[in-house]
Amino acid sequence: MLTKKSNSVTLNNKRLKDKIFPYAMVAPSVIIFTLFAVYPFLMGIYISFFRWDGLSAMQYVGTQNYSNVFIDSNYWTALKHTFFYAFFVTVGKNVLGFILAKLMMDLVFAKGFFRTITYMPVTFSYVVCGMLWAWIFNPTFGLLNNFLSLVGADSLIMGWLSDPKVAIYSVMWVDIWRWAGFHMVLYLAGLQAIPKDYYEAAEIDGAGPVSKFFKITIPQLNSVIVLNILMAVTGALVSNYDIVNVMTGGGPFGSTEVALTYIYRNAFEFYNLGKASAMSVILFGLTLIFGAIQIFSMTRDENYDS
Amino acid sequence: MNMNKALKIVGTVLKVVALAIIILLTIYPLIWMISGSLKGTQEFYTNIWGIPDAWKFANYSAAWSRAGLGVKYMNSLIVLAVTLLVIIPAVGCAAYAIARTNFRFKKAVYSYLLLGLCIPTGVLAIPIFSAALNFGLVDKLSGMILFGAAQCMAFGTFLLRSFFISLPKSLEEAAMIDGCTRFQSFLRVILPLAKPGVMTLVVLDGITVWNEYLLASVLLRTDAKMTLPLGMKSFADKYVTDYPQLFAGLVIVTVPMLIIYVFAQRSFIEGMTAGSVKQ
Repeated sequence: MLTKKSNSVTLNNKRLKDKIFPYAMVAPSVIIFTLFAVYPFLMGIYISFFRWDGLSAMQYVGTQNYSNVFIDSNYWTALKHTFFYAFFVTVGKNVLGFILAKLMMDLVFAKGFFRTITYMPVTFSYVVCGMLWAWIFNPTFGLLNNFLSLVGADSLIMGWLSDPKVAIYSVMWVDIWRWAGFHMVLYLAGLQAIPKDYYEAAEIDGAGPVSKFFKITIPQLNSVIVLNILMAVTGALVSNYDIVNVMTGGGPFGSTEVALTYIYRNAFEFYNLGKASAMSVILFGLTLIFGAIQIFSMTRDENYDS
Repeated sequence: MNMNKALKIVGTVLKVVALAIIILLTIYPLIWMISGSLKGTQEFYTNIWGIPDAWKFANYSAAWSRAGLGVKYMNSLIVLAVTLLVIIPAVGCAAYAIARTNFRFKKAVYSYLLLGLCIPTGVLAIPIFSAALNFGLVDKLSGMILFGAAQCMAFGTFLLRSFFISLPKSLEEAAMIDGCTRFQSFLRVILPLAKPGVMTLVVLDGITVWNEYLLASVLLRTDAKMTLPLGMKSFADKYVTDYPQLFAGLVIVTVPMLIIYVFAQRSFIEGMTAGSVKQ
C-alpha cells in the first residue's frame, strides 16, 4: 500500500488516462447519435401532440392527431400496403438470393465475375433503379411488353405501372431486383462455411438431395437466414419511400401508397406535421418489434470480452 | 447408372440456364441503360433493343449542363467524403473501446448505440425536419452529413466491434510493451488488421449516403444544395420527354459507386462474410 502511494504522480496520471480513455473513445459516436438521431426521435413524439404546419407557432392539441390518424382510413390502407410489400419483398429477396447463392456454389469458373455482376444493382440508388424500370415497364416502348409480344405472349401484356392491381408487384420486383445480390453474398458465405464432409457422410448414409437440404443446409444456415430475413424486413418496412415515390408516386388510385409516402404527403403537401409525426410514431411502434429482434439476434450468444 | 448420368446432365443444363437468365436479368437493364443513353431521341423509340446506330456522346454533355449536374456532383461528393470521414473514425474508436477496454457503462453504451437499428431514417424523416429547423440545418449540406452519419453509427459499431474482438490481444500488448500508448496501438496495429471491416463500412455506408433520397427530400430545398438523386428526380420531372439524356444522367450518377465497389470488392466481400458468418 505504502509503496503504491509513494509511487509518484505519473502512475496516477496514467491510471486516470486509462480510466478516461474508453469514454473519450465512445464520446463522438454517442454525441452524434444522440443529437442527430435520438433528439429528432424524441422531438417527433413531442410534435405529435401539436398542430403544426412547419412555419407558424405550434399549438398543443393533446391526442387529437392520434384520434385523427385512427379514423383516417387512407393511413390504414397505406399501412396494409406497407406490410404486404414488406412480406413479399422479404420472401422474394431471400428466395432469389438463396437460389443465386446455390447456383454460384456449383459454378466451377468465373465465380468472382458472376458475384460482382449480381451485386452491382445494390450500388444503384432507388432513384436510378426506379427510373430505369419505369421505362422497362412502359406500356408501348418498354422492353417488357415488347419482349412479350416478340415471343407471342400478347395476353400477358399489361400496364405494369398503370394497372392498380399490378403496380405494387412491379414496384416490389424492382426492390427485389436491386437487393437479391446482397442477400446472395451473405448466403454464399454461409453455404461455403458448411463443411463438405457433412454432405459426404450423409451421402454414405444414403440421403437424397432433398433430405440433405433440409437436414444439413437449412440447419447449418440458421443464423445466416435469420440475419437475411431481419435485414430484408426492416429494410422493406421503412425504406420503400424512394422507390414508390420515383416509380408511381403512390398511384394509380393510391394502390401503391405506403405509410412513408403518405406520411411525407401529409407533412409537405398538406402541411400537417403534427399528424405526420403521429403517424411516424405509430409506424415506429409497429416496426419496433422487428428492430428489437434484430438487436437481440445480433448480440445473442456473444460474450463481452473480459 | 445411365439414368443417373442423364439426370445429372439435365440438372447441370438447367442450372446453367437458370444462372444465365438471372445474369441476363441483372446485366441487361444496365447495358440497355448505357446503350439508351447514346441513342438519338427518335432512335430511342424506334430501336428499342439494339445498340445505337450512331453513338451520341453529346447526350452526356447535354444532360450534364441541363440538369446542372456539376453543382450536384460536387454536393454529393462533399457529403459522401465528409460523412465517411465522420463515421469511420467515430465508429472505429467506439467499437474499439467497446471491444477491448473495460469501463463501467460499456454495456449500456453499446446497447444505446444499437438502438439506432430500431429508429431508421424512414420513421425519422419528419422529426428530422423539425430538428433541422431547430439546429438551423435545413438546406445545408452539413445537415445531410450529420443526420446521415447518425444513421450509420449503430451498424458500424456493431460490425467493427466484431472485427476487433476476433483479433488476438497479444498484438496490442506487444505494441504497448514497445512503448506505444493504447491509442497508438489501436491506430497502428489493430486498425490496419481490421481493414476488411473498414472497407465493408466504406462500401455499405458509401452506397447509403451517395443514394440518400428521403433525407435529401426532407432537408434540401434549393437547386444549389441538391445532391444527385434529388437532382435527377427533378430533372426527370422537368424534361420527361428526353429519355436519352435522362439515361445519360442515370449513368453519370451511377458510375462513382460502381467504381468504389469494384475496387473495394475483395475486402468488402471478406468483411461481409466475416461479419455475418461466425465460424
